Amino acid sequence: MIDIVGIAETNEEIAPGYRLLRLALNQDVEVRPGQFAMLKPRGVFEPLLRRALAVYRVDGPRRVSFLFQVLGRGTEALAQIGEGGEIETLLPLGNSWPIPSNEERAIVVAGGIGSASVLMLCEVLKQAGVDTRVFFGAANARAAAGCGLEDFRAYGFPLVLSTVDGSSGERGFVTAPLERLLKEGGGRGATICACGPWGMMKRVAELAEEFEVRCIVSLEAPMGCGFGVCVGCVVEVKTDGPLGYGSYKRVCTDGSIFNAKSVRWDISAVGH
Amino acid sequence: MSTKYDPRLAVTIAGIYFNNPVLGASGTFGYGLEFAELIDLNRLGGFVTKGLSAKPLAGNPPPRIVETHGGMLNAIGLQNIGARAFVEEKLPLLKRYDTKVIANVFGYSDDEYIEAIEILNDGEGIAAYELNISCPNVKEGGIVIGNSPTAAARLTSRAKQASNRPLIVKLSPNVTDVAELARAIADAGADCLSLINTVVGMSIDVNTRRPRLSYGTGGLSGPAIRPIAVRMVYEVAKTVDLPLIGIGGIASTDDALEFIIAGATAIQIGTANYYDPAITMKVIDGLSAHCANHHLQTISSITRSLAQ
Repeated sequence: MIDIVGIAETNEEIAPGYRLLRLALNQDVEVRPGQFAMLKPRGVFEPLLRRALAVYRVDGPRRVSFLFQVLGRGTEALAQIGEGGEIETLLPLGNSWPIPSNEERAIVVAGGIGSASVLMLCEVLKQAGVDTRVFFGAANARAAAGCGLEDFRAYGFPLVLSTVDGSSGERGFVTAPLERLLKEGGGRGATICACGPWGMMKRVAELAEEFEVRCIVSLEAPMGCGFGVCVGCVVEVKTDGPLGYGSYKRVCTDGSIFNAKSVRWDISAVGH
Repeated sequence: MSTKYDPRLAVTIAGIYFNNPVLGASGTFGYGLEFAELIDLNRLGGFVTKGLSAKPLAGNPPPRIVETHGGMLNAIGLQNIGARAFVEEKLPLLKRYDTKVIANVFGYSDDEYIEAIEILNDGEGIAAYELNISCPNVKEGGIVIGNSPTAAARLTSRAKQASNRPLIVKLSPNVTDVAELARAIADAGADCLSLINTVVGMSIDVNTRRPRLSYGTGGLSGPAIRPIAVRMVYEVAKTVDLPLIGIGGIASTDDALEFIIAGATAIQIGTANYYDPAITMKVIDGLSAHCANHHLQTISSITRSLAQ
C-alpha cells in the first residue's frame, strides 16, 4: 500500500456517464486482480473523502486504469480531471480474486460497472489457460459499452450479453442466462466470480447455492478510508453464534472479495 | 524534514513526554499499526486507540458512514476487539515504535468502564487512558454520562482510582455548558481533558425518507465542526487549569495552531487521516516551520496565547 500522486494521462468518456481514467505513477505498484484504490483529485477540498475504484487494468508497474461511472460528487470531481491532472492515489487495497487452476473452470459474472473489478481477472484467466465463460449484464447497449464490453470481448471467451431493456444482447438480467447454464450442468467444476449490484450478486449466490457451485463475490460499500481504520464499510457475515465481534467484516480490508456463502444476503443492503 | 525530532515541539502532559503535540484521534487511527506502512510512526507524537470495551463489540449495522459537506457522519457503534485482545495482540506489536499509545476506554455502565481499565492496567506500553464519556452512538451509557456533570464527575473519580496511568477525559460538545462539565470533571481528578468528540447530527435520504445511517443519528466530524471545537477549547481553557488536547476537524497546520492558541497543549487529528493518511506528518513539519518563522523557542509557548 502506497499513497502517491498519480498523473492523469487520459480521462476519456467512453460512453455517456462512463469514463476511463489512466494514471501514471512515479513508483512501482503490484496490483492483483480485484484490488482497488482510493482516489481524490489533489488540492480539492470537497468532497473530503476519497472514492474507492477497482483497478480496471494495469499496463506495467507504473500505469493503472480505472473504469468508472459518474454517480455522485466524488466521481464527478474525478470526471473533471484533465490530462496532466493530479490525483491522490492510495493503492493497492483489499484482497484479490482467487485464480482457478487450468483444470478448473471459471464463470465470470459482470453486472453494470461491477465489470471494472473483473477485467484483470479475465486477463489472468486467459494467461492461465482457464476455461472461462463471461456473463455480461448492463442496463442498455450504451451502458454495456461504458462498462467495457469490447475489452471483455477481446479475450475471446464465450460471452453472453444481457441488457435490461433488450437494446443489445438478451433482454433481461444477466442472471437468467447464468441460470440456464447451471441448469444444463454447466457449473460443474467451476468457480463463479461475480461483481455487480447487490441484487444481482444475491441472485448469483442463490443460484450457486442451488446448483452447488463455488461462488466468490466482490462487494462494494461506501468507504471512509479504504485501509481498515474507519470500520464504516462493513458487511454482515454469517457466524455460528449470536451477533458478536466478527459479525461485521470490513469490505476494504477483509474483502472486497468474499465467499458468497459467508455473506448475509438476507440483510437488506441499504446503501448498496 | 531531516531531523527526526524537533525539540521545540516536545510537550509534556500529565507527566507524559510527547516528541510533538500531534496525535491520531480515537476511531480514526485504528490500533496504530494500520498506519505503519503509510507514515513513520516513530515521528508521531502519539495516537489514541479505537475505543476499547471490556468485551469485544459487534457495532451497528451498515450503513455506518455518510459524507456531508465539509465532514462526515458516523455511527460505527464502537465495534472493537475488546481490551483483552488489545493487550495481548496489538500492544506487543506496538512496542517497536517510539510513539505514545493512549488507550481510549468506554463502557455501558460505570462498572464496565472500570472493568476495561482493570484489563488495560495489565498491558505494557500504554501511556495514558482517554475516557470516552461522550460517544453519541450508544443508546445507554456514553451519551448520558457525558451530558451530565454529576455523572461524568462520578465516573471520572472511579476511573481515576482504578487506573494506574494518567487519565484524560474526552468531552462531548453536545452539552449546554461545556465549561461547567469541564470543571466538574477536573474537580473529580482528571489529569487532562480532550475535546471535542463528534457533534450529533443527522442526514436524510429524501427519496426513501429514511435516515442515511442505519442508526438514525450519527457523530459529525471533519472541518465542518472545527469552529465549534476551537470555541469550546477556548471556553474550557478559561475555566480549568488542566492541560487540554484539542480535537475537531484539524486538517492543516493552521488548524492545529488555532487550537493551540485557544488553549490546547496538544492536538488530535481525526477524520483527515481517512483522506490524507500522512496528514499527521505534514502537521508536525508545519509546526516546526511555524516555530522557525515566528522565532518560537517551543510550540507550547503559544498555548493559551489568544490576543485580547
